[in-house]
Amino acid sequence: ENEAAPALVAVHPNHEFVSVSIGSDIRVFDLRDGSGVKLVDGDGGHRDSIRSIRFSRSGKLFVSAGDDKLVKIWDTITWRCVSVVVSEKRVNSLAISNDERFICFADKFGVVHLVDLRDYKSSDSFPINKKAVPILAHYCSIITRLEFSPDGRYIVTADRDFKIRVTVFPEEPLHGAHEIQSFCLGHTEFVSCLAFLGNDRDGLRLLVSGGGDSTVRLWDYASGS
Amino acid sequence: GMAALPRKRFYRARAHSNPLSDSHFPVPVSPEEFDYSLHYPGHQSGDSKIEFADVGCGFGGLLIALSVMFPGTLMLGMELRDKVTEYVKHRIEALRTTHPSQYRNVSVVRTNSMKYIPNYFAKGQLTKMFFLFPDPHFKEKNHRRRVISPQLLDEYAYVMSVGGLIYTVTDVEELADWLKSCLDEHPLFESVSEDDLAADPVVGLLTTATEEGQKVARNGGQTFPAVYRRCF
Repeated sequence: ENEAAPALVAVHPNHEFVSVSIGSDIRVFDLRDGSGVKLVDGDGGHRDSIRSIRFSRSGKLFVSAGDDKLVKIWDTITWRCVSVVVSEKRVNSLAISNDERFICFADKFGVVHLVDLRDYKSSDSFPINKKAVPILAHYCSIITRLEFSPDGRYIVTADRDFKIRVTVFPEEPLHGAHEIQSFCLGHTEFVSCLAFLGNDRDGLRLLVSGGGDSTVRLWDYASGS
Repeated sequence: GMAALPRKRFYRARAHSNPLSDSHFPVPVSPEEFDYSLHYPGHQSGDSKIEFADVGCGFGGLLIALSVMFPGTLMLGMELRDKVTEYVKHRIEALRTTHPSQYRNVSVVRTNSMKYIPNYFAKGQLTKMFFLFPDPHFKEKNHRRRVISPQLLDEYAYVMSVGGLIYTVTDVEELADWLKSCLDEHPLFESVSEDDLAADPVVGLLTTATEEGQKVARNGGQTFPAVYRRCF
């Protein structure tokens, strides 16, 4: 049941760093001078396979999470772990809101949890333990990808049961994301990847998905068609 | 000749089914792929869609009563247990034979409603959803298997039209408290007034139409109905 974690790659939005996770290890390379970066974590890093890594939109934050049920938030100036969120279950995917105020992660039961970073200041000098709040779920499904729409109004979640769900991301998400905008249904196998096509084109909000049925599908995600 | 109604004793199944185990049954990829002509004789494409869903329909008592009360409305029962689904299928077939032109608006599917409701129904399609005597799943660690939960209510709200009604009833007080709490806290549902309940002919069916409801009445048990409206 517990497959070995594949190596993951994440690239800093301004190409300052490349990060690779292998097993429970994170390696970061500074592309500006070609040096390896030393990560600082009083907790000794992740203790089990890492399942998801991402840079935030501006690159100032890096987030890693996995089978040790920990979500670690790193400041990419100092490469210090500045916050740890403890999940009840193993974490398999995560996303960071475009404005960098929220992190969402999915656990193995298909529950998406939200971490509120609105009070985070990079000047804080000690790692803060943050609590996560459940905001939505795909019942008994493994969520393979989470993404925020380019305008930040929606959060899209894809699962192994062929479904893509588009949910309104509310102003105050701590109370949950209850309003489903659409389902994009058509895949006949697990959905493994999602990408947005920039901003609206001709009034269509475009999302591309791919999955185990060997198809790539284009959706107007506001309507699900 | 006469179509005999199926005998329940040949279809008995355990009351509790594990919604987490992966039974194998076909699921439509999307609501557009659901074959109406298979379930509703004479249905043409472009005709109206299903409006009532009975989630965990059991032996079909509620569906049969609703079929007669709302002859112009299409309704679907959803049931996880294979044998019980077969019973309801045969019951409907028998009733269609003995009452030609009736019961053509009701059908049943074997499925897991907790995973596949959006596969059957499009956004805002349903005007009524029923959850009669749901499994209480008493143990704390099994609460997440309850058919009504804060997260699943998101999906039920999605398939319901604004103004549509969700009907629940249970004889387990602890579950009644849970249902009320989940529905009260969900921003897309509001409770229905006593006056509206009194005026709704469906409410009476919650406790009388089903085998489960009749059993509770026979044993002198108390029932706790709760009806909520899908609001904006």
